[in-house]
Amino acid sequence: MGKTIIEKILSKASKKDVSASTDRMAGDRVWADLDLVAMRDFGGPNAILEYKNSFDERPVFDGNKVAITFDLHIPARNEKVAQNQKICRDFSAKMKTRLFDVNTGIGQHILFENGLVRPWDVIIGTDSHMNLLGAFGSFASGVGTTDITAALTYGKLWFKVPETIKIVIDGNLNESVYPKDIILHILKNIRTDGAIYKAVEFTGEAVEKMSLAGRITLTSMVTELSGKVGFIEPDDKILRFVHERTNTDIKGINADSDARYEKVFHYDISDLKPQIACPHSPDNVKDVKEVEGRPIDQSFIGSCTNGRYEDLKIAAEILRGKKSKVRLIIVPATMEVAKEALKNGLYDIFLDAGGVITNPGCALCTTGHPGILAPSEVMVSTSNRNFIGKLGKGAEVYLASPATAAASAIEGRITNPREV
Amino acid sequence: MVLKGRVWKFGDDIDTDQIYPGKYLPLTDKEEIARHAMEGVPEAEEFMRNVKDRDIMVAGKNFGCGSSREHAPVSIKGRGIVLIIAESFARIFYRNCINTALFILECEDAKKIKQGDEIEVDIETGEIKNLTTKERYKAQPISGLEMEIMKSGGLIEYLKKREEK
Repeated sequence: MGKTIIEKILSKASKKDVSASTDRMAGDRVWADLDLVAMRDFGGPNAILEYKNSFDERPVFDGNKVAITFDLHIPARNEKVAQNQKICRDFSAKMKTRLFDVNTGIGQHILFENGLVRPWDVIIGTDSHMNLLGAFGSFASGVGTTDITAALTYGKLWFKVPETIKIVIDGNLNESVYPKDIILHILKNIRTDGAIYKAVEFTGEAVEKMSLAGRITLTSMVTELSGKVGFIEPDDKILRFVHERTNTDIKGINADSDARYEKVFHYDISDLKPQIACPHSPDNVKDVKEVEGRPIDQSFIGSCTNGRYEDLKIAAEILRGKKSKVRLIIVPATMEVAKEALKNGLYDIFLDAGGVITNPGCALCTTGHPGILAPSEVMVSTSNRNFIGKLGKGAEVYLASPATAAASAIEGRITNPREV
Repeated sequence: MVLKGRVWKFGDDIDTDQIYPGKYLPLTDKEEIARHAMEGVPEAEEFMRNVKDRDIMVAGKNFGCGSSREHAPVSIKGRGIVLIIAESFARIFYRNCINTALFILECEDAKKIKQGDEIEVDIETGEIKNLTTKERYKAQPISGLEMEIMKSGGLIEYLKKREEK
């Protein structure tokens, strides 16, 4: 029987555990060998302390396959955070792991920019949006502290092989409509529990045309569908990107044509209009038109979902020569993105528009990060979650594309990007 | 194994920011973490004041959605809760419970159980007796591997035991 992408990856990764001929299909439990264990300034310190309690000085399974990234409270914003970061740095030096310090950016983005992510890889991390790395055909999964602690020394972890949902997206995107609008539309349709425990494969002509940034926007928000991972078959441009970053031969991955899917959804997005997720759930989605005119206090452009150069560029084209009527916060995903934005004049556009650009990182997705809202304030954000209280008690957050966030900033109210 | 206790009832889509607000993420001490269990839900005050050892939590669908923070199950277990029954759990929260040996069961009838009910639960078979209403429900039994991990006292204990063999 044919296999889905996740069935292929987990069959290969668990070969040591079972006989080489055994296929691992949906529903099976596996112990998979890990290609990368990632932790960050939250979650990481807990795992390291737990590691010391459980394993004392025992070396990690392979320091080259352990990466610590700092992307939340960077640079350290208080003493407790500073202590936590020191715990990570000390552990990294002692165990000879990889470390990406406060000057780098959002973890998963740092991992793939630095050639640590390949198709077929099994990756875990202390970030619920690890799964965006499915855009490279790798299985990346957010896990908890205990998973990381155990993985650090055993180099393997248990998984339930999930069923897969296939989402076929056909058609051509209209002007002012972006991958974020597509994934919000899908959330509206299949809801925040629509893919619970499941893998998702995105396919179709609209997906094939998408750049890496667009693919990341789709796969990142599988988390909001409660899915385990979102895959997109890597095409030539993605494989070339991975090859350039890793300097190794790269083997692509695809689902078999006779693979078994739990469900298949078809979308034609040719008539899709700009979408927006209203408070307080990522699936409370409407056409931007329906909530147009609602006054806002702040607009945020960034996050692991929409913080690539291409996302900033979309916002910059709209903001060029204009002023923001509200507080506008722009945060590149990584230093690499920031440098490209700087080189190509995006910083000038944002600063002239009255924007605040902070250092690369998770920014407003982190509770307590600068930019938090006061009660009853309203923000349009390109991030992926608008849970109640997450970005300030009593505040209201609307999720949208970088184009909608930029257009809304200029008008000081929720605005359809076509109108600016 | 049979667990008996009083029910704390919560609704659908209780996310990890309600279970354990993000502002306490820098905490690493388990006792300190436990002090903030369920602090983000409207019933927080009553829960904090009256929860006692061996109580059982019952919730709706998608319990524990949101971030990967293991503080969430650690805080709940730290307040004495021995078992969570929900219509469904969010994926990472589910893993975190297995790995930290906080028993969980998925039951479609979870919504029939009310705040304050006394229930008796057979963890292996998934049989639930509501001693208050005399109703009976059936939860989905937990599969072999996950049950073994929980009974070992969590993932690390499970792996250490396998290593010794």
